[in-house]
Amino acid sequence: MLKELILNMIYCFAATWFFALIMNSPKKVIPISSLIASIGYIVYLMCINADQVMLGFFFGTLVIAFFGEISARLIKMPATIFIFPAVVPIVPGLGLYQTMLAFVQDDIFGALEIGVTTILNIGAMAVAMALMSLVAAKIPMKYKNN
Amino acid sequence: MYTKHLIDLKTHDIISRIKHTCIIEVKKLEINVDKLLKTIKLSAQIILENGGETYRAEETINFICKSVGVKEIDSIATPTGIYITISIDGVENNTVVKRISKRSINLAKLNRVNNISRQLTEKSITIDEAIVQLEETRDGTENNNKFYSYFYGGISAAFFTLIFGGGIFEFIISLISGIMVTITTKKIENIHSYQFYSSILAGIIIASFAILSTHFANYGNYNYVIVGGIMPQLPGLAMTNAIRDTIRGDLISGIARGAEALLVASSLAAGTGVIISIAYAIGFMPI
Repeated sequence: MLKELILNMIYCFAATWFFALIMNSPKKVIPISSLIASIGYIVYLMCINADQVMLGFFFGTLVIAFFGEISARLIKMPATIFIFPAVVPIVPGLGLYQTMLAFVQDDIFGALEIGVTTILNIGAMAVAMALMSLVAAKIPMKYKNN
Repeated sequence: MYTKHLIDLKTHDIISRIKHTCIIEVKKLEINVDKLLKTIKLSAQIILENGGETYRAEETINFICKSVGVKEIDSIATPTGIYITISIDGVENNTVVKRISKRSINLAKLNRVNNISRQLTEKSITIDEAIVQLEETRDGTENNNKFYSYFYGGISAAFFTLIFGGGIFEFIISLISGIMVTITTKKIENIHSYQFYSSILAGIIIASFAILSTHFANYGNYNYVIVGGIMPQLPGLAMTNAIRDTIRGDLISGIARGAEALLVASSLAAGTGVIISIAYAIGFMPI
């Protein structure tokens, strides 16, 4: 159990690292956003293990957005640069694929069930990000005069 | 004693007057409408072309204009174009429209535009320097055609395969198919920039690699390879951004982004779905 968590964290770190390289992320940002991604993914996995799938999507994204906003204020770059690569491992790609697979297998009701769950999960992620950006908008960014 | 004081007062008065006129002249010189419009148009264009949010483009325009002292600013940014109207003295209006036809993601360019606009508002660079730097940023294609940049997509897809439960065999297959996908999508993007074709082709390549290799090796699970392969191609942030924009009240850009994300996701699904149903029909895999 613990071994699986740690292995997943390492895989997530590496996957986000190379995904950030595809997206041409600034060199200084890549390690930080990979670390944020693996922390968020661990939160998500813990919620999944406790059988709370939608809460997993919500809290995973919330943690990622929170750390993204904090590091944006510390390093003085836009928060999107941190959040964008970090949120990718949580996006329900498996759900989208299973929806498509069910459609191909002529299982319309199964496809609708998985599809609606997937859309609701994406909605949970969006609500978490909107919530965090609402809080972050109240704390203005302070730039040093350099 | 008394006279000296008088002289001091006079000189002080003169100096303050000179300062006042200087400031006025500097302000008059700084607000050059054409250059200002060019700067805000370029910065908004770079932000929208490289995956920035629409509200970020609007905020950047507002920041730059407010720092120069423009009286009225109105801007509408959508994923397909920007409309900006500014009025420096409150009487004359100047409008600029820019069509955005090519959209990709480049976080380094977003960061650079953010830096330039910040330096501009802090007055550490002039508007001419800003235009030069923005044009350099727009035309810059560094790290785009290097040989090893093809491997990033493959390695990322391979690690996603591991996350979803694949083993060493699936890792290697996913690596090869990811590299193939990166090469073909880059070639297609050079021809034209419609994302529909590149994602439908990506789906076809990923699914055919996964199914053929697991069929002929008679080992491994194709599901892990396909899921890991489509993860880097999915419009993850576009989907969440679409819902978030709609929540914020940016209805047009929210719906446009949602349509784009839906199109990309469904074309990926169509690409993989075609190959999977062909494989069922031929009998490559058991239902």
